[in-house]
Amino acid sequence: MSDRQLSTPMAEPTELPAPLASPRRFGVAVRPPHYGWNGEHFISDRLVAVDRTSVEGLPGCVEIVNEGDFVGVVADSLSAAKDAARHLQLEWRAPSAAGQGDAAPLPATTEAASRELSAGHAEAASVHRHEYGWPSRLRWGDAPGWVVADCSGQRLMLWAETITPETLIQDLQTLTGLPAEQIELYGNTPARVSGLGRHCGDDAAVDAAVMSRHLGCPVAVWLDAAYNRDVHALGQAQRITLSADLAKSGDIADYRYHQAHASGNIAAVGLWLCGRQPTRRTEAGETPSFSPYAFSNAQLTTRRDDHGTGRHSEDLAEIQQAFARESFLDEVAHDSGQDPLALRLRHLDDARGVELIALVSQRARWGEALPSAVAKSPDRMRGRGFAYSQLPDRHQRIPEGVRSAWIADVEVNRITGDVTLTRLVVGQDAGPEVDTERLQQTLQTRVLGSARPLLGRNPAFDEWGDGSDHTRHVESTTGGALATRTDMPTKENAYGEATTSLPQTLDDVNLAPGVAVIANALFDATGVRFRQPPFTAGRVRQALQDQANPFQEEAPGRPTKRPRRRWLKAAALTAVAGTAVMAWPWKGAIAPINRPAANLYSAETIERGRLVAAAGDCAACHTAEGGRENAGGRAFETPFGTLYSTNLTPDERTGIGRWSYAAFERAMRHGISRDGKHLYPAFPYTAFAKISDADMQALYAYLMAQPAVSAERPANALNFPFNFRPLMAGWNALYHAPSSFEPDPGQSDLYNRGAYLAEGLGHCSACHTPRNIIGAERKGEHSLAGAMVDGWEAPPLNRLSSSPIPWSEASLYDYLRHGASSLHGAASGPMAPVVAGLGELPEYDVRALAHYVAVQMGAPAGDSETVRADAAARIATAQSGPIDMEEGERLFEGACAGCHMNSGAPSFTSAQTTLALNTNLHSQHPDNVIQSILGGVHADHVPGLGNMPGFADSFSDSQVVTLTAYLRARFAPDQAPWRNIESRVKTIRQHNNSPSYTPEATTRRG
Amino acid sequence: MTEAISLTVNGRSYELAIPPDTPLLTVLRNDLELNGPKYGCGLGECGACSVLIDGMAARACVLPVSVAVGHEILTLEGLASEGRLDPVQSAFIEAQAAQCGYCLNGMIISVRALLNHTPRPSSAQLQSALEYNLCRCGTHVEILEAANRAVAINAAESPEAPHE
Repeated sequence: MSDRQLSTPMAEPTELPAPLASPRRFGVAVRPPHYGWNGEHFISDRLVAVDRTSVEGLPGCVEIVNEGDFVGVVADSLSAAKDAARHLQLEWRAPSAAGQGDAAPLPATTEAASRELSAGHAEAASVHRHEYGWPSRLRWGDAPGWVVADCSGQRLMLWAETITPETLIQDLQTLTGLPAEQIELYGNTPARVSGLGRHCGDDAAVDAAVMSRHLGCPVAVWLDAAYNRDVHALGQAQRITLSADLAKSGDIADYRYHQAHASGNIAAVGLWLCGRQPTRRTEAGETPSFSPYAFSNAQLTTRRDDHGTGRHSEDLAEIQQAFARESFLDEVAHDSGQDPLALRLRHLDDARGVELIALVSQRARWGEALPSAVAKSPDRMRGRGFAYSQLPDRHQRIPEGVRSAWIADVEVNRITGDVTLTRLVVGQDAGPEVDTERLQQTLQTRVLGSARPLLGRNPAFDEWGDGSDHTRHVESTTGGALATRTDMPTKENAYGEATTSLPQTLDDVNLAPGVAVIANALFDATGVRFRQPPFTAGRVRQALQDQANPFQEEAPGRPTKRPRRRWLKAAALTAVAGTAVMAWPWKGAIAPINRPAANLYSAETIERGRLVAAAGDCAACHTAEGGRENAGGRAFETPFGTLYSTNLTPDERTGIGRWSYAAFERAMRHGISRDGKHLYPAFPYTAFAKISDADMQALYAYLMAQPAVSAERPANALNFPFNFRPLMAGWNALYHAPSSFEPDPGQSDLYNRGAYLAEGLGHCSACHTPRNIIGAERKGEHSLAGAMVDGWEAPPLNRLSSSPIPWSEASLYDYLRHGASSLHGAASGPMAPVVAGLGELPEYDVRALAHYVAVQMGAPAGDSETVRADAAARIATAQSGPIDMEEGERLFEGACAGCHMNSGAPSFTSAQTTLALNTNLHSQHPDNVIQSILGGVHADHVPGLGNMPGFADSFSDSQVVTLTAYLRARFAPDQAPWRNIESRVKTIRQHNNSPSYTPEATTRRG
Repeated sequence: MTEAISLTVNGRSYELAIPPDTPLLTVLRNDLELNGPKYGCGLGECGACSVLIDGMAARACVLPVSVAVGHEILTLEGLASEGRLDPVQSAFIEAQAAQCGYCLNGMIISVRALLNHTPRPSSAQLQSALEYNLCRCGTHVEILEAANRAVAINAAESPEAPHE
């Protein structure tokens, strides 16, 4: 996995775990020039001599550890140890020919047998044979980190980075001979394990343990991308060969499956080098293995060996088996022009399995063409894959076992090779006792947890936290970390008979098809077959480049090309018809529930929900002036009449206390209230549809955990015909596409996070995009082109920005984080509460928003010298006003200049940005200037941001007009004078004086 | 809604329970009974309400008290130290620069803020610094004379102060 190496800068070692505070000893393992696993044996150069004098006199109290072919260098600091390792002279010799001779190519006998077998079936229409592999190490690790071993006497303590603690403990037992209970494992072991196999954290741990054991003191080893060498050296751990004869009918007549090892676990490199890992004894016998499918003639064998016991090894073997089998069936189906799902159903002799697959394919709309990505970008390819498995239950009974059917949609960026899992539908039938909700939760965390290493990518847009510990954060967040819908049509769910059950049921989550489903979808998208994981951007990119190259070596390690089959075309017609019908469905009330208990959700989920609510700024609209938070009742004047926001507190009568999650989600994504009534799009469900499932659930959890407030809201006062709610169904059909957020794989994680926040939760476009005559946001070039909202101008956030000094990403960040930018001015009006809400968010999220907006504006990262010089020139020009506007000048000098001009004496209350750079004064519309003069500027809750008093009560209309014209002439001399100030002042005064308008606290001053 | 607010005024700490958006001036005059700063226009126009915050002039009538939390507030009452008047106060007394005297708090505070930043200002700089402090009695000549005198006394009392 060289991607990791490229994308993660080589972080410098930082804090050590506490136990190594003293004495500090640091180790580096020196590997032989040649070593590796050849599929059957570990082979390495043999150590002949160690020249200890070569490191004498080097600083750091250097010690050499040597056992067998293992060499370690230990010193007082990591740099001293690395330095000594470079200087250390070692003599190696190539392994003996005899040793190599042991490594017979393993599947030879079976291959010969298969050929004979298939030769006997002369009537077969075609013969298919493929080999699938599994790497010994999927990657070097998740993030650079310390691994510390303290091996003294009869005890081994290890602070490790491992995802396979059970197998690591097995290795450590082999190394030390200690019983398992005397080995203590601490540290960054994730609570859940991806189940996809080991990474080099285990190799580093064994290196540390060997060195600590020899020296009798704790030794720290630094795990980083340097361990990639072990990834390459250990190569392939598992090889599975499959072949099938296909009858003319398309049925598989003869099916053969051969697995090279019972388990695919390869011991840590250090263990092999020490000579402590016993050579694997492969017994001559073969054990039959299980397939969920029924074939007229099948031969399934697995070579027996004496390694890899334990639950974890079984899990891994199951995933490997399902990967090979499901990839193979997919290949056979494509090669013979059949629907991969139909081929499987023909060979599935199991009513429960058939029913489950039918449910999942229906839910995922299997057979309908995927929306083409070409319109968006020709460099993006989409594909869909299917995989299925059936595993024994926890009593090893196969008929009662867990059936699991998966359909995944992926999007592949042809240029970068990035693979995005865009949708995942998983159906699981785990027998009679199933807790659907917990099953779904487990799937979500474990599935998405394993998808990440598989794709080697941080799906970052849906993450909450500071960007600084990005890589770690994915591992620790629960919930969807990908752009994914995890739907769960279990049998129980479908029949509405979900029952609660014992926690052990969670073990029954069947992840086996997870790898195959991605490989199959990848093939559908790209026409390239990956016969070995992982599917990292680097490998995908390479494979796509090789696609043009006709010389392909067909080996499991290398992806191979297949012509794309277009069996989907026939189904496309039905899909179009289906969509047309779907536009008018779906009203009806969702049954009320009893309010969920406050302790139903974890503190972590509720905290995430709090951040979601802050980013979405629910309270800004759902809190009336002086009212309780989120209790609703705030008035909104729209061109169609006055609307009042609803009560979001969990009050059972007036709030959302009796809303189920399904009802809440429908309202958020589709604008339909629990009782089936349509909501008006003043509530920006058009944006909220993009909120990820995990965020939506957290938001529900947060809102339900807040105190209930009983508050009736005033009835809406809409003009005919807009007071007729069912009209909204037509509006929705025309203007609402409830699609989930799709990150742009061509953009960075920072951009996608910003886009997710801005387009979904943050609903920026609700104010900043102009609406058409019936209140729908306009598209294309009009997106974020600025609009009038509630008497204020929401300025353009695209290239139409009228800011006198062009915005930069740095200025946008200042504005969004601190409420003001020194080159642009301060947030006020409806934007002030938005900035206050953003104050709750981590720095990374605000940076992401600034980055996203900067890209929309085509803004540079920082402010250049030219820009600063322009700013200085504008300030100089505005030092004096126009000579013919004396009345305006008098008003300005008397009322404004005390704070808005620099008198030379330092002032705490002066405006931070000179009016010469103020965006509002340079806009086409005078509205924000008039609003500011009349109502002042208030940004309560934004720390450090000052207040400007409103002058509505001290200036007459004509004074406001005079002052506004003067400000425009003095501070925006390059702009044409405003023509409509008089009428705007009148309108805004009327609007602000209307009983429904509650300006931000004009009453509190004085 | 009231909140717990901690303020540091003239070197003393105060714990108050008040709405955070109350103007600082109201708190100083009503709660702390410091009546040096005056209520004039209430819109930040005239400067009669000025106080020093971290050594800078601030118009207390437009400043929500929450914004002043964590800063050093100095009112006219706190200018004198160890029984000695501030040089600016002495200068205004010596020059008898008052008619009604309502604006004097702001004049003194503004000159003090300027001297903190510019110990040897020119007459033009003094005039500019006082430009946005309004006086309705027309005492401008005396006030400017007092300000010039303050510069001289200040220089004599702190001769080592760096030149501009």
